Amino acid sequence: MSILINEHTRVLIQGITGAEGTRACKEALRYGTLVVAGVTPGKGGQTVEGVPVYNSVKEAQTQHKDINTSLIVVPAKFALDAALEAIEASIPLVVILTEHITTQNSARIMAHAKAKNVRVVGPSSVGIISPGKGKIGSIGMTTSEIFTPGNIGILSKSGGMTSEIALALTRCGFGQSTAVGIGADIILGSDFADLLKLFAQDEETKAVVLFGEVGGTYEESAAEYIQGGFTKPVVALVAGAFADALPQETTLGHAGAIVSQGKGSYASKIQALREAGVHIAQTTEDIPKILHTLL
Amino acid sequence: MRYSGVRTPMKLTEHEGKKLFQHYGIETPKSALVSLPQNLPQWGPCVLKAQVHSGDRFKHGGILIVEKVEQIQEKLQTLLGKNIQGEVVESVLVEEKVEALAQWYISLSYSSEIRGPVLSLSTSGGTGIAQAHTTSIPILVGITKEIAQRALDEAQFPQEDSAAVTEVLQKLWTLFIDECALVAEINPLFKTTHGLVAGDAKIIIDDDKNPSGERRIIAMDGDIAVLASGGGASMLIMDALIRAGGKPANYTEYSGNPPAQVVKELTIKVLSRPGLKGCFVAGAFANFTDIYVTLSGLLEGLREITPKPTYPIVVRRDGPRKDEAFAMLEQAKTEGFDFHLFGSDISMNDSAKEMVARAYPV
Repeated sequence: MSILINEHTRVLIQGITGAEGTRACKEALRYGTLVVAGVTPGKGGQTVEGVPVYNSVKEAQTQHKDINTSLIVVPAKFALDAALEAIEASIPLVVILTEHITTQNSARIMAHAKAKNVRVVGPSSVGIISPGKGKIGSIGMTTSEIFTPGNIGILSKSGGMTSEIALALTRCGFGQSTAVGIGADIILGSDFADLLKLFAQDEETKAVVLFGEVGGTYEESAAEYIQGGFTKPVVALVAGAFADALPQETTLGHAGAIVSQGKGSYASKIQALREAGVHIAQTTEDIPKILHTLL
Repeated sequence: MRYSGVRTPMKLTEHEGKKLFQHYGIETPKSALVSLPQNLPQWGPCVLKAQVHSGDRFKHGGILIVEKVEQIQEKLQTLLGKNIQGEVVESVLVEEKVEALAQWYISLSYSSEIRGPVLSLSTSGGTGIAQAHTTSIPILVGITKEIAQRALDEAQFPQEDSAAVTEVLQKLWTLFIDECALVAEINPLFKTTHGLVAGDAKIIIDDDKNPSGERRIIAMDGDIAVLASGGGASMLIMDALIRAGGKPANYTEYSGNPPAQVVKELTIKVLSRPGLKGCFVAGAFANFTDIYVTLSGLLEGLREITPKPTYPIVVRRDGPRKDEAFAMLEQAKTEGFDFHLFGSDISMNDSAKEMVARAYPV
């Protein structure tokens, strides 16, 4: 098992003819993930890496009834329309790689997704990889060997840190069940808690590593969910201790990394996670050391 | 530590915010923006308010009440040029003092918890809001009369003011949506004998409304320049550097596979400050950022800085084309650059220790 992505994933790429889309297509195919169709309005009839391109999601869906995942890589200004098209088509998993979508448009996307019972991952996701089974997005792009099959789930706000953590795990003999870049915007489609619920059901996953950052309350929500009865061990690495000394409302490396006092601060996140029984790592190399004591 | 030059770039000043209020039909007090102690409005009593971005300007002496007209000039001069949390006061809003019957708090923002907009209300506005009552607003619907009425009742606003406050809430909602704001707040909202008046304006516009692509640099007090790569990794790098005993001179970050030119310009900006003892170029294992391209930008930047940086430059990078990139920097050592190159064979944390050991030799 794994979560979200596996051998049965059939991908539609929205924005497939753009540079990012073509790269995403090549990468997924290289990893053996089936990209069955692409969409770029006005470019129907073309092919990218042998994958047929359609003008709309509906058209692609008519030809490829097995599509179960859409990967959105369109520029930010087209992302709302692209996401609404995928949601309207009830594609059960919509993964948004696009960065710089306005918070307002993200809120609109999530409102529509909720009404249609569609799961959204992202925006600003680096992608999802279930090592050995499939991957979508820029995750582990030229470095797939750093992701190896195994029993550790990774949920990360940062794309780079997803790989850095996988590397530390792989080098110490811990493979991964699924690694998900959840993004670090103010509004996320799937947060830590949402995906921990999936890891709870996934027999292959024995422990989960979280990479969090200052800003927002997703780490606090994760702590609340874990305290409510998530029984697998969780190790968390949270970045931004230095930011607690910065003026409030300063935005750091990600849109959602907004310096705040109280809830949202580094201190608040660490305290909430500790109280929930989560093991706190200070560095990436701490993570496998902690896992060794737990598994 | 002291920080300078830090602010949210898209946070509007009160004056800018109030201009938006006027545009959307929200009443504001009679006011004039002044930046010189000349041609002053002759109103009394009035309030002088420093136009800075700090949310704590009252506490830091940025708001003065003037009872008599003849005191305006004198008090104004104490404000102009004053430093409030790292920001120098360049203009002051002179505003007629409002006789308020009540002061309320209304605010629209986004909540990560409900993943949509929330309305916060309190009947005790002004400084030091007690518990505000929050209601989630369905973004596809907006603030209807029914939603406003329910929220106002729950927050215990007076019944007789409901209609008037609802009108302000609906105007503020239109502003919030049309201006692509992250925060639109009126605190205090004055109740006066002739209607509701916005006493202050806090508006933050979404950076992504018109993304500039400009990389921001947060200046700090230390002496190790930081060129970090990756939104999340950059923060972890700062933590590691400080934990190892390093004093960062700045925080900045580049990610998303930028062209060499972007890294070059950032390098020049970050390293063109005197008194540096080291430069830390670090990031997580890159998924798709071209290490050769980005480190070419670093090298081009280094070549343009005068005097030539001779302090240690510790690089910890890995990912696509790392070997080519390191060969290039290795070659450039002959130009006099003191590079120390590390791949992912050492951790980000250990590379921070390497940086500190070289920047502050015993």
